[in-house]
Amino acid sequence: MTDLEKIEKAKLLLGDKLLEMTHPAPHRIFLTVARENLLAATALLKDRLDCWYLATISGVDKGDVYEIVYHYGDTNGTINVRTRVPKSDPRLPSTCAVIPGAILYERELQDMFGLVVEGLPDPRPLVMPDGWPAGNFPLRKDWAYERPAEIIPGGKK
Amino acid sequence: MSFNIPIGPQHPALKEPISLRMTVEGEVIRDVDIRLGYNHRGLEKLAEEKSWIQNIYLTERICGICSHSHATCYVQGVEKLMEIEPPKRGIYLRYLVSELERVHSHLLWLGIAGHEAGFDTFFMYTWRDREVVMDLLEMISGNRVHYAINTLGGVRRDLDEALRKKILEGIDVLKKRTEYYFKIGASEPTFVGRLAGVGKLSKELAMALCAVGPTARASGVTRDVRKDDPHAFYDEAPFDVATADTCDVLGRTVVRIKELFESYKIIEFILKALPPGPVAVKAPRKAKPNEVISRYEAPRGENIHYIKSNGSEKPERLKVRAPTLANYPATVEMLRDGFIADIPLIFAAIDPCICCAERTVELRNARTGEERTVLFSDLRRMANERARQLPGQRNVTWPF
Repeated sequence: MTDLEKIEKAKLLLGDKLLEMTHPAPHRIFLTVARENLLAATALLKDRLDCWYLATISGVDKGDVYEIVYHYGDTNGTINVRTRVPKSDPRLPSTCAVIPGAILYERELQDMFGLVVEGLPDPRPLVMPDGWPAGNFPLRKDWAYERPAEIIPGGKK
Repeated sequence: MSFNIPIGPQHPALKEPISLRMTVEGEVIRDVDIRLGYNHRGLEKLAEEKSWIQNIYLTERICGICSHSHATCYVQGVEKLMEIEPPKRGIYLRYLVSELERVHSHLLWLGIAGHEAGFDTFFMYTWRDREVVMDLLEMISGNRVHYAINTLGGVRRDLDEALRKKILEGIDVLKKRTEYYFKIGASEPTFVGRLAGVGKLSKELAMALCAVGPTARASGVTRDVRKDDPHAFYDEAPFDVATADTCDVLGRTVVRIKELFESYKIIEFILKALPPGPVAVKAPRKAKPNEVISRYEAPRGENIHYIKSNGSEKPERLKVRAPTLANYPATVEMLRDGFIADIPLIFAAIDPCICCAERTVELRNARTGEERTVLFSDLRRMANERARQLPGQRNVTWPF
């Protein structure tokens, strides 16, 4: 299926759920949907547009919103579904019911951005260590790493 | 009665420290819980503080075996952001190193498969032949592991005619050796019998769990970024996507051997078509605000980088997804209903890069509840003994 056919089909499938569509480069299609429609849109794309392979989920801290991009690969390029989550209400529906392989990426989003992914079958922390202090989300732009002061037993000579 | 067995986070079967908590009934694994993050280096955050050029060297150090994969994936994305086009010769040389890296990675994996199956001759043969390709890589780039050949706008070293001939000679040697391995695999019933039926992953599960690379292709999923989303010259290069439909470790072995032949074809194509000219163009220091998705078929599967720029000298966001992470959910399913003794083989089959150190694992006897510590070599010995006693796998044949 060519890019143009995919774009037409996605427009038809998603209807008014589709907020924005860009096609910045060959084989790269970006769709934007509202957070409320994410699960429905994912199911439609999976069933009708062959988007069963979720390559990964990227999160970007854009100041007052988080931009979450779901990258789907198919036999001819990628389809990327973007959704925006306000920082004041950082909730996101889980797509695990439709795409079981999404679980690790969604758990990573929780750890890295402090999003709450609702409906996740296994919401434990994934990459952060057990003793990690609560409320520290490293990929937020306002989080900075401070190296703890080095303590040498006996002092430096 | 079921028990829990922890394997890892310090364990030689695992390249990165990862913890597997197995729920077993007797010797049968009923459930697996994977815990990650023991080696999380905060690399994505670090990348936001480094310049575009510094990040090449950072991404190259994500992985030791497929170091070139991450650097190439990053570089080809940033070149799109900066709107520069590397010269043709530069591109050909870049992917020449890619394919040589795939050859060395697959030969390494074949050796490990042989080792875990108790076929150490195979391990020694493949690792000896791997030196051929390692030497070629060293001659091209000056390094054996981190080739550091990529730069923004092309590659850093050129190739002369003498070296081009040497590579072709090396590939001829490797081709003959690989044909021999293919035959060995087919005529050695203990090897085939050990691998067949172990670590089953059905096509439906491989698709649902978004498995990648040889793991997915061995379950009949025909996905290869080089074919699906061809970067550089891959739409012209003569190669086929190797697949198998046995859905087990045997299939993953066959796929990797077949991929070796495809890589030799691509290398020969590159060296025949190698155009003259410069190898690199000068890259700007800044990139306009934009975003790009860069995909690359690493030896273990699809590697994807999402790079976002904001007009400055540093990326706004660099998201890296390495293929092994994508294969973890599938690994859980492969281990389920398998035997404890098959853990090393199944885990090795997704190519998480086994290092051959001797460490310990605690096993608990399901009947007595007694805990004991077993050396990894003992675990392997138990595995091979169990396989030898197994009926029904005597007549399995190599799926050509």
